[in-house]
Amino acid sequence: MSERSAPLLSVRNLKTYFTQDEGTVRAVDGVSFDLFPGVTLGVVGESGCGKSITARSILRIVDRPGRIVDGEIHFRRPGANGGGASLVDLAKLEPNGAEMRSIRGAEIALIFQEPMSSFSPVHSVGNQIIEAIRLHQPVGRREARQKTIEILRRVGVSTPEQRVDQLANQLSGGLRQRAMIAMALSCEPTLLIADEPTTALDVTTQTQILELMRQLQQEDGMAIMLITHDLGVVAEMATDVVVMYLGRVVEQGPVDAIFHEPRHPYTRALLRSIPRIRARTRERLTPIAGAVPHPYDRPSGCPFHPRCAEFMAGRCDRQTPELKSVGDRHAVSCFLYE
Amino acid sequence: MSAAQSPLLKVTGLQKLFPIKKGFLKRTVGHVRAVDGVDFHIDEGETLGLVGESGCGKTTTARCVLRAIEPTQGKIHMRVADGSVVELGQQSPREMRALRRQMQMIFQDPFTSLNPRMTLLDLVGEPLLVHGLANRREREERVADLLTRVGLRPEYMRRFPHAFSGGERQRIGIARALALHPRLVVADEPVSALDVSVQAQILNLLVDLQADFRLTYLFVAHDLSVVRHISNRVAVMYVGRMVELAETTEIFERPRHPYTAALLSAVPEPDPRTRARRIVLQGEVANPAAPPSGCYFHPRCPHAIDVCKTQTPAWQEVSPGHFASCHRAQELQLAGVE
Repeated sequence: MSERSAPLLSVRNLKTYFTQDEGTVRAVDGVSFDLFPGVTLGVVGESGCGKSITARSILRIVDRPGRIVDGEIHFRRPGANGGGASLVDLAKLEPNGAEMRSIRGAEIALIFQEPMSSFSPVHSVGNQIIEAIRLHQPVGRREARQKTIEILRRVGVSTPEQRVDQLANQLSGGLRQRAMIAMALSCEPTLLIADEPTTALDVTTQTQILELMRQLQQEDGMAIMLITHDLGVVAEMATDVVVMYLGRVVEQGPVDAIFHEPRHPYTRALLRSIPRIRARTRERLTPIAGAVPHPYDRPSGCPFHPRCAEFMAGRCDRQTPELKSVGDRHAVSCFLYE
Repeated sequence: MSAAQSPLLKVTGLQKLFPIKKGFLKRTVGHVRAVDGVDFHIDEGETLGLVGESGCGKTTTARCVLRAIEPTQGKIHMRVADGSVVELGQQSPREMRALRRQMQMIFQDPFTSLNPRMTLLDLVGEPLLVHGLANRREREERVADLLTRVGLRPEYMRRFPHAFSGGERQRIGIARALALHPRLVVADEPVSALDVSVQAQILNLLVDLQADFRLTYLFVAHDLSVVRHISNRVAVMYVGRMVELAETTEIFERPRHPYTAALLSAVPEPDPRTRARRIVLQGEVANPAAPPSGCYFHPRCPHAIDVCKTQTPAWQEVSPGHFASCHRAQELQLAGVE
């Protein structure tokens, strides 16, 4: 594939730390991955693995005391005035500077898990989308409103002429998530970051929203970074997958390789442990021992070693494995493969 | 039916309406039909999975069974320890208190369901204290024993819940529920707040404890994969009514109600090779305060015919032990999971 040659987003050795009196939480600790245009990258991991902080780092909206301490986030901006595309390092930009503000919400859009808390409760949903459009595009109020109604219709909101003046709390969960997607897409982003976009939704509504995201991607060709803990959603949506554990990428590769030839002991154990709808009834599960460690109590060496069935004493607890290629676009950070 | 064969729990015509009050005089202007005529039974030692989307009344049903809330109508018969069958609605408060020892609940959120100011000893020992069952020394012994049974170290009994991870806290909640040797345990989404790698541990624990203590579970959940791994039989609810009930394998492989089929098809599977064509339901779950006429599911049902709009389908046994309320249950060929 030719589009593989130029990534839209290239994250290199990203480190985002939270320094507090109790100690430093290394929320993101040396994460690298590439995201290509028109492709869906699934980022999976359990709570505390740093998947959301990675997304917030890319958008430069990490809350204090969090700070990017190292690494690069190269983002390819479409050329202005027909000129060639330009690469910017988002990690070097001022979080609230003009350039970052012109990227955030326009070229990179974000949808959150909880649509209720992402909309203002006192402004109509329409006005909030209109505001986003007018912030990034040189259009008048009336034209922006027209655009808003069109985009609401595009994301499957029925009677958008009426919905546009409603408040977020007058919409159901599914409609709110549609409105959220409408707002994100209003400026035609090249990258959509979806952070657990369907976790708060019922399963039949989840199907609708995933279907919608897939359809919009086909029409607009945007890249999607899909962050979720749900391996089912990732298998359904992603082209490539990044598996994270305690701030590090443990494995990455094409979706089929991750699910059918997982190499890292964590990925393997995780896939074995999840309940499956095609299982035999009352089949016993194979759990992973222990729990995700507390962030202040991060294990030395490979962060997964205390729970790992293939732990090698003296190695895994002393040294930290780096990502090594094990196949076509498939990489794993584990001493078993060195 | 002899007493030995009668089910542990038998629920008939259960209904719970919540009044909607409006205006200065708080007049009742309508009712939310949270649970609207539900019948089922649970045999001793089995697990009945109760599934449905948010607002379908599954939690309200569970709470009515425990009489944590008073049902508006309906009867709940329970076979108590001495073998006699009692109707819970006719018990005096004092009798009810004694009965409550035999029915316990496990909650969803282990972070809010445990008092942060109580040690494990207090938390797990409190039910014993309330029911005057043991002196201090005996209580400590019982708590130590219970903690061991749920996979926690008894040395931890002087610690507070904040020192434990989500999975460990859920174990504490389970130990507390088991303190009085209940016969019926109602588990309301007991694993949905947990990390995926920890879910399997808790599900396996629940199965082990069921065998050890001869427990009967009413297992409320929205996750169909989880339900498949724990239930002997499964009941599906939609807008306050039960739409289908059958043995687990039967309902997963041969669903007879279109809603069950849609739910099954909506579950994203953790396997990119089975990206199936999903049944994408139109619209949203009906409002239980103003449900549609006829079958509540008809506005979203891909198989609806005229009779569905006007007549409520009867709850009928379509094959031995397999119940469904659909006018077309006999004729439709619906796909399940293999």
